[in-house]
Amino acid sequence: MEFTIDKAMRERLEEARERGRDEMRPIGLIADRLGRPIPRDDPYFEGLIASGEGRTRWPGLKSKPRPSTRDPLRTVTMTLLLTEEWAYWDRGVMVANPGPGLPEGNVLALGTDEQKEQYLGPFLDPDRPRWACFAMTEPGAGSDAAAIRTHARKDGDHWILNGAKCFIGNASRADWILVQATIDPEKGRDAQRAFFVEQATPGLGGFKIEKKMGLKAYESTSFTLSDCRVPAANLLGGEARYEERAGFKTAMRTFNAGRPIIAANSVGIGRAALDEALDFARERDLLGDSRVRDRLEQMARKLRAGRLLCLRAGWLADRMAPNIVEASMSKAIAAGVAQEATSLGMELLGSVGARGDHLIEKLYRDAKAMDIVEGTGQIQRMIMARHLVQLPRN
Amino acid sequence: MFDLQLDEELELLVETARSFAREELSPRLREAESARGPDPGVCASFAEIGLAALELPEACGGAGLGALARVLVNEELAAGDVGAAVALDPLGPALYPLLELGGETALKELALPLLAREGARAVLVAAADAELEVGADAVSGAVPWVPADRVDLLVVLDSEGAVALQSGIETEPLRGAGLRAAGASALRLQNAPIVARWRGREQAGRALARARLYLASLLVGVLRQTCEFTRDYALQRVAFGRPIAHHQALAFLLVDMHAAVDGARLLLHEAAWNADRGRANAALSATAFIEAIDASRFVGPNGVQILGGHGFMQDYPVEKYMRESRALGLLLGGVDAAREEAGRALCDAGAPVALSELEIV
Ligand SMILES: Cc1cc2nc3c(=O)[nH]c(=O)nc-3n(C[C@H](O)[C@H](O)[C@H](O)COP(=O)(O)OP(=O)(O)OC[C@H]3O[C@@H](n4cnc5c(N)ncnc54)[C@H](O)[C@@H]3O)c2cc1C
Repeated sequence: MEFTIDKAMRERLEEARERGRDEMRPIGLIADRLGRPIPRDDPYFEGLIASGEGRTRWPGLKSKPRPSTRDPLRTVTMTLLLTEEWAYWDRGVMVANPGPGLPEGNVLALGTDEQKEQYLGPFLDPDRPRWACFAMTEPGAGSDAAAIRTHARKDGDHWILNGAKCFIGNASRADWILVQATIDPEKGRDAQRAFFVEQATPGLGGFKIEKKMGLKAYESTSFTLSDCRVPAANLLGGEARYEERAGFKTAMRTFNAGRPIIAANSVGIGRAALDEALDFARERDLLGDSRVRDRLEQMARKLRAGRLLCLRAGWLADRMAPNIVEASMSKAIAAGVAQEATSLGMELLGSVGARGDHLIEKLYRDAKAMDIVEGTGQIQRMIMARHLVQLPRN
Repeated sequence: MFDLQLDEELELLVETARSFAREELSPRLREAESARGPDPGVCASFAEIGLAALELPEACGGAGLGALARVLVNEELAAGDVGAAVALDPLGPALYPLLELGGETALKELALPLLAREGARAVLVAAADAELEVGADAVSGAVPWVPADRVDLLVVLDSEGAVALQSGIETEPLRGAGLRAAGASALRLQNAPIVARWRGREQAGRALARARLYLASLLVGVLRQTCEFTRDYALQRVAFGRPIAHHQALAFLLVDMHAAVDGARLLLHEAAWNADRGRANAALSATAFIEAIDASRFVGPNGVQILGGHGFMQDYPVEKYMRESRALGLLLGGVDAAREEAGRALCDAGAPVALSELEIV
């Protein structure tokens, strides 16, 4: 048993801390105040690309090795620690950062070599900030992902997509969108497929950037697909992949890998609230009050437990051990902890919190999404209950 | 790096404690409660496996293991019968002031004889839980409750140090809210002679930290058992045409109970691991204790709730788990003293607050 971080990881975290403090937090506060996502041509993004960020984890084809960049993080545990630190500074900015983002894991796991080359290749050594995104949620179906209605119909050597997606992160600026669709709405999960839809494909449009309560630094965008034709080769993994129930599992794999990350983000947001609350209490000379101390103690304790649950899920993943329950548990608990920590922080600020200009007030709004994205708290509990008490699916 | 894998020695230890608890403790749980003590046969076989000397240094004939070993063993024993777990360890958390403040001499003079004496019990009392006047040579006053029917050694711990007493301790039997298998008494002390007095803030702090880990591990054990028992029951019991576990309100409650125990256990293991490395861990231990108590307030009563009316009846163990987990959290100054300590530690911290050793510091 060991509860430490090695030196190399510590250095990575120090770097993240510097960038977080100097760049991420300030730009996140501006986006929050202006109530709009960071513009895609913001020099901040250019700077990230210049400094070697925004890259894919994909090593490139063997015949064409990737340009030398820094080591990718070796383990899930390390990734969790790093994303916790980023979220500490600004979780919205973290998602706004360029890169292949949410669908990368799916493409790595299931994409053909040609698809990796075509869709991840441009992220090997990007000439400009590039984004990609994953679109599952629809106005009529979120948690019940098997009920999506976006439809795909084969037409010769093309697929024709029709439907509407909503709340999709970075959609309007993405080079391509991995769209989850069904070839037969009556057949539920078995009939689901994922398609690469490139930006500017005719029929892809109606982009609407939503107004959100928090996490304003990145765009959550709704769009429509109207007779949108994509080549047959854009089916993720190729036809062979979609035998039996692999289609739905494709999507769920993204979500599964993402849960501990959302947990880590939650801990990061909560930690920021704790530090701000502690500073506030110290400046106002409130630390002599046991009610104040008790709130701080509760925040710190719950965050500690949340972080350990999160790291446990990552540690299991690193050992290739089953972690479904632990991954869901980390997300369900840590998201609640972030909400509780920011809410206790608001109590500690008192009416200062209600002014709307304190960082904790922003964190209080940002944190809420952690219990919604990538499977709500209720959905995580359903997943856990399926394993712990064999809760039936219906 | 972060690693939760136990080494083989500890795995084996856990397995030993687990099978003992399963075979010897849980089947006799009500018996031990009404007899105010485990069966002599159980005590004898416990003595044979030598778990009481787990943390004694090798120089004193012990296994020389640390806090992590203790919390792992305690969880298993407490999952079997937490009352018996308290009764079976003659030293209990009273060991820690001897270990941290008294050193080898104190261990040899005060602790070792208890291991040889059948049914002997050492008891640790936090000065804040009692009304005691500690004089130059003797202690007088009262302790409202200790989970014991006899006291061979009483150690009174405060933030400055500890005193040890062996005589002049009158026990008055109580019914006890829980842990009856360990006994329940009020203590009256009239000029009880002090046989040893140790001073040292730092060592006293470490002793209290270790004692909190001891209690937290008993809590984690009994709460885990509550979760397991109610899960099995909820899969058997049918209402409205399906197992009650398959009604979402109960399914979610069960997973939340489970998560509460997992969180408390991880905090406990981190604190114990730090204690074994001699790292400052007063705040971490206090935190683990608070979280275990927090979990007990949630898990204990919900354990009864899941069994409905049956849970309220003593034919099932869940009402016992509820009472005993509640009582355990009242020892050593309970949650308030621990929150005071952990909260004060935070006041001294600068941002970013180090949540653990994992923090960049
Ligand atoms: C900031 C933000 C970013 C997002 N980014 C993306 C993205 O990039 N890509 C993407 O595809 N999606 C994205 N989403 C969408 C997100 O995944 C969904 O909002 C989420 O899955 C919930 O779906 P829903 O909104 O349709 O709620 P619903 O599914 O309608 O749920 C409503 C409520 O019912 C509860 N509920 C539903 N079913 C059950 C059940 N069986 N038992 C108990 N309770 C139940 C839910 O927990 C919830 O409380 C984003 C959302 C937000 C807020």
